[in-house]
Amino acid sequence: MALTIAVCIKPVPDSEYYNKITIDPVTKRLNRDGIPTVINSMDKNAIEAALRLREKHGGRVLAFSMAPDTAIENLKRVLAMGVDEAYLCSDRVLGGADTWATSYTLYKAIEKTGPVDLVIMGNQTEDGGTAQVPSQLGEWMGVPHLANVIALDYEDGGMVVKTKADRGTIRYSLKLPAVLAVTRDCNEPRIPSVMDILKVGKKPMRILRAQDLDLNPDFIGIKGSPTQAGEIYSPDMSRKSEALVGDPDEIALRILDELRKAGISIG
Amino acid sequence: MFEFFNENQVMLASVAKELVEKEIATHAAEWDEKDHCPTELFKVFGQQGMLGVFVPEQYGGAGLGITERSIILEEVARHSAGFAIALMTHDLATAAILNHGTEEMKKTWLPKLCAAEVIGGLSVTEATGGSDLSNQATTIEKNSAGYLLNGRKVFITNSHIANLNIWTGTSGVNEKGRKVLSAILIPPETPGLSAGRKENKLGLRGSITGEVIAKDVQCGPDSIVGKEGKGSAVALHTIGNYGRSGMAAIALGILRASVEEAVKFGNERIIYGNPLSKIPEMQAIIADNQVEYEAATAMLYNATAIYDNGKDAIPKLAAAKYFATEAAVRASRRTMDLMGGYGVINEYPVGRFLRDALANIPSGGTSQIMRVIVAGSLLR
Amino acid sequence: MDLENCRGIMVYCEIDVCGIIDNSLELIGHANTLKEKMEHYPEVTAVIIGSDVGSLITVAARHGADRVIMMDNPRYRVYRPDLYSDALAAAAEKYRPEILLVGASLSGEEIGPTVAMKLHTGMAAHCVELKIRDDGQFVQVVPAFGGKVLGDILCPGFRPQMASMKAGMVSKRIFEGKVAEIESFDPDVRGFGDRLQVIETIPETRKRVSLSNAELVVTGGFGIGTQEGWDKLEHMAELLHGVSTCTRPALDAGWTDKEETMVGTSGVAIKPKVYLGFGVSGAAHHTCGIKGAGLIISVNRDANAPIFEVSDFKVVSDWEAIVNAITARLEATSAVCPDPDRA
Ligand SMILES: Cc1cc2nc3c(=O)[nH]c(=O)nc-3n(C[C@H](O)[C@H](O)[C@H](O)COP(=O)(O)OP(=O)(O)OC[C@H]3O[C@@H](n4cnc5c(N)ncnc54)[C@H](O)[C@@H]3O)c2cc1C
Ligand SMILES: Cc1cc2nc3c(=O)[nH]c(=O)nc-3n(C[C@H](O)[C@H](O)[C@H](O)COP(=O)(O)OP(=O)(O)OC[C@H]3O[C@@H](n4cnc5c(N)ncnc54)[C@H](O)[C@@H]3O)c2cc1C
Ligand SMILES: Cc1cc2nc3c(=O)[nH]c(=O)nc-3n(C[C@H](O)[C@H](O)[C@H](O)COP(=O)(O)OP(=O)(O)OC[C@H]3O[C@@H](n4cnc5c(N)ncnc54)[C@H](O)[C@@H]3O)c2cc1C
Repeated sequence: MALTIAVCIKPVPDSEYYNKITIDPVTKRLNRDGIPTVINSMDKNAIEAALRLREKHGGRVLAFSMAPDTAIENLKRVLAMGVDEAYLCSDRVLGGADTWATSYTLYKAIEKTGPVDLVIMGNQTEDGGTAQVPSQLGEWMGVPHLANVIALDYEDGGMVVKTKADRGTIRYSLKLPAVLAVTRDCNEPRIPSVMDILKVGKKPMRILRAQDLDLNPDFIGIKGSPTQAGEIYSPDMSRKSEALVGDPDEIALRILDELRKAGISIG
Repeated sequence: MFEFFNENQVMLASVAKELVEKEIATHAAEWDEKDHCPTELFKVFGQQGMLGVFVPEQYGGAGLGITERSIILEEVARHSAGFAIALMTHDLATAAILNHGTEEMKKTWLPKLCAAEVIGGLSVTEATGGSDLSNQATTIEKNSAGYLLNGRKVFITNSHIANLNIWTGTSGVNEKGRKVLSAILIPPETPGLSAGRKENKLGLRGSITGEVIAKDVQCGPDSIVGKEGKGSAVALHTIGNYGRSGMAAIALGILRASVEEAVKFGNERIIYGNPLSKIPEMQAIIADNQVEYEAATAMLYNATAIYDNGKDAIPKLAAAKYFATEAAVRASRRTMDLMGGYGVINEYPVGRFLRDALANIPSGGTSQIMRVIVAGSLLR
Repeated sequence: MDLENCRGIMVYCEIDVCGIIDNSLELIGHANTLKEKMEHYPEVTAVIIGSDVGSLITVAARHGADRVIMMDNPRYRVYRPDLYSDALAAAAEKYRPEILLVGASLSGEEIGPTVAMKLHTGMAAHCVELKIRDDGQFVQVVPAFGGKVLGDILCPGFRPQMASMKAGMVSKRIFEGKVAEIESFDPDVRGFGDRLQVIETIPETRKRVSLSNAELVVTGGFGIGTQEGWDKLEHMAELLHGVSTCTRPALDAGWTDKEETMVGTSGVAIKPKVYLGFGVSGAAHHTCGIKGAGLIISVNRDANAPIFEVSDFKVVSDWEAIVNAITARLEATSAVCPDPDRA
């Protein structure tokens, strides 16, 4: 059976630049100026997993993202990787969503474009990093969902999935439709080829506004979010940073001395 | 980034960067130290469509231009100028066949070159002097089976790994009694062709440069690239457009590396209790490097756009190659100055940048020759 | 759930072969700390889901549970996220807590958000701090951008207010002789029925390194550079009777396969007496996991490495020189003198 697979993509600030993130002391808002936006890294694993299923079993891969209009650039990159169609949910009223409202909006967007057999997502983002959206999307859709997926395959009309558990691994079988959240152990995401880049312009890409998606206004954006964001701050973890100097042997002695003082018994 | 890149070119640059960071960045220092050429990576670049991007789709390429090729080479050279020249030379064989070869040659070889099923080389330079192009001791003699090739080439990139070779050699004399050259294609496994000495280079290590020797190499009757007796045109067109844009792109990579390394070191190194980059003199170094990088970028991508639009770009590419390769030497040298003693320690890459930049200058024609070309185009 | 009728703090107890995991016991202890700041001094309720788990009641009580809800049924013998989520949601619906805490383990990350959806409430993930503000508001402090930024999350309009927290963020508390009220609860939960099936559970065979009691950790970062270097570092850690831990790049490099010793946002948070770091740059992803360390000493050759800002002592040096010197000292003192007469 050919599979229709949705993948969910979140554009995030490039984690290489996290030390450039500052908080404006007056407005208390995050300052991300000059930090490029990239595709959340585990979402690339999600795309790769979907593309491999498509290559093996046929079908289509559709990407969904809830983000500002600028995310078009990221979605082009997603199309270059081989995804067939991309949908961007972008509207002011969707902003400020927590995971509850985010998963609702993604659910409505996926529903809008027609039934899918499988949704593959990243397990966790690099910015918010709650790891909550996949399970919550699964609940909205009312279908089985699993997180921490490290291997997956489509067999006899269902999925066979391996997940990382706290003390080992678990193998599951799931009936479709289902939602799976994959980790970076799942695969090695491909890098687009030049030919793939050239196909991007020919693939469908659409921006969905709130009015295009039959949304309950009480479930979206800040208003629809049960959690409210309060103050943000950078943790002050600074310590005295006293330099230990001398030749290596002198430093070694100082370190051993400090260990003893801290109550470590050294044989 | 060059302001006038189109969307595809912008994405190509970022995709190439990602590929290079994955496959090359962490190995570049080791390849340099061991003078190792990672031949297996040709195939990877082939699969990504990054070899022969300028080849039309019907022959297995992406149908783009030398602008896109330069974008890729700049990204490769940002981390390994050595491997970049190996890729760049492979493309020279591709370009010679595409622009001057027979339909049969294009159909047979271009798809294989684009996929790196064969590795290409272009052998022009001889011991008598690369600048003195027409004075070639190599002979291409017509015989009953086709053409017989004898000679020795020096400074040939991919000498020991290329199995599809294009050579130039003297095939006769013209009315005025001057030697005329022909270009010839030597398919893989042709008996009589062998690699000689592998040179131990100052820079661009990680690419193989050496001698190639032809002893009674018999080629078929359809193996002449371009017209018989028009071999210099093949060499000059290929080197003048593809070789020099490629060498300039490699220089851009080194320039950018010199800028980025200077910024990184300047910020990290603490002196008088502050980052080094707080010192005005050191900021001047970073600024000079950036200015030369921007100037070289504008020159090169302007010239490649001219070529890709089907117009003559030879003098502009010579100017870009001259400026960019010389600027790369200055910039890497400045970064070295900025680093103080650390600059000469081989754990830092800047020494390699300088060595690569120096080795860049003669390849594709020396700076003197570039000026001869630029002046010649004005004084004609 | 409406705001008025919700009372108390509920803690989900995660179980492994050894019983209730530390992560959950820590949360029961911390729930007591919260309750001491709350108006009605509400009850701390532990929810135990499993099969044949009666013996765990006293453990939960000793760690601070006022009440234990036992969901003891053979259907819970094998962990299934859908069944466990349904069970916990049913317990929350019946007992209506104002706060519901879940450990941020891999299974907690499956169960927590699922339950939050079922109850239509908010959830704060991977909290580094949970507190009751003076006005009585429950404040959940979450990390973002790998710990570079912290943010307060509030959930004023929905109940229960849900939060997850990683192991090691707060300490266990012991309430000697405490007896808990016990209630059995056995709702008919089915999860996704046969749409989701466990084929097999493959337990880990290797013994895990336990970091909860480690007094000294020796952390190696990507700066260690090679496998030989790593082995050298581990050797020194052994001589010091310390536990070696790693950063994510060091793990990715394959120098160690002990994933459970990766420290930071995607790994563990640790609270040793001393943290001794070599070749670690000090990204927020990593340092947010070591803020509970008593003393932090780090060695890095880059004078400007961010790790130094969060260190008590810094050594600007090649790591190997220092490790060699410490190892030599330790080997010298531990060597048995071959000729006692000369001693
Ligand atoms: C790393 C590397 C890779 C190379 N790869 C290849 C390859 O793949 N294939 C290939 O065919 N060749 C290759 N070459 C050769 C390269 O093209 C020649 O080195 C170059 O053309 C210069 O030739 P030469 O070294 O013989 O110097 P010469 O021509 O002997 O020049 C010596 C000096 O005389 C100067 N000079 C010469 N003529 C003039 C003039 N008319 N006016 C002013 N000054 C002049 C030159 O500028 C130079 O300073 C490579 C070279 C290098 C360094
Ligand atoms: C400082 C800070 C703290 C926060 N804390 C909380 C909190 O504690 N609780 C809470 O409910 N919200 C919180 N949020 C809001 C949360 O980040 C957003 O709801 C966000 O849209 C999704 O959550 P996530 O990034 O944690 O995604 P995760 O749940 O970590 O994402 C997992 C996967 O879901 C998919 N996905 C997630 N977001 C999108 C999207 N926008 N478009 C397409 N696919 C997506 C991707 O496949 C992704 O890999 C916080 C935000 C900030 C800035
Ligand atoms: C979503 C996400 C989650 C992450 N989670 C975690 C996590 O849980 N834990 C974690 O650790 N990381 C995590 N990371 C990675 C994190 O961002 C940093 O990349 C990582 O912590 C850096 O590790 P490092 O210090 O070992 O390596 P590097 O940053 O490469 O630093 C190496 C250091 O070694 C020094 N050095 C080099 N050679 C020597 C020498 N000879 N002697 C002395 N010093 C030397 C260098 O100066 C440098 O400071 C995460 C990243 C992302 C994006």
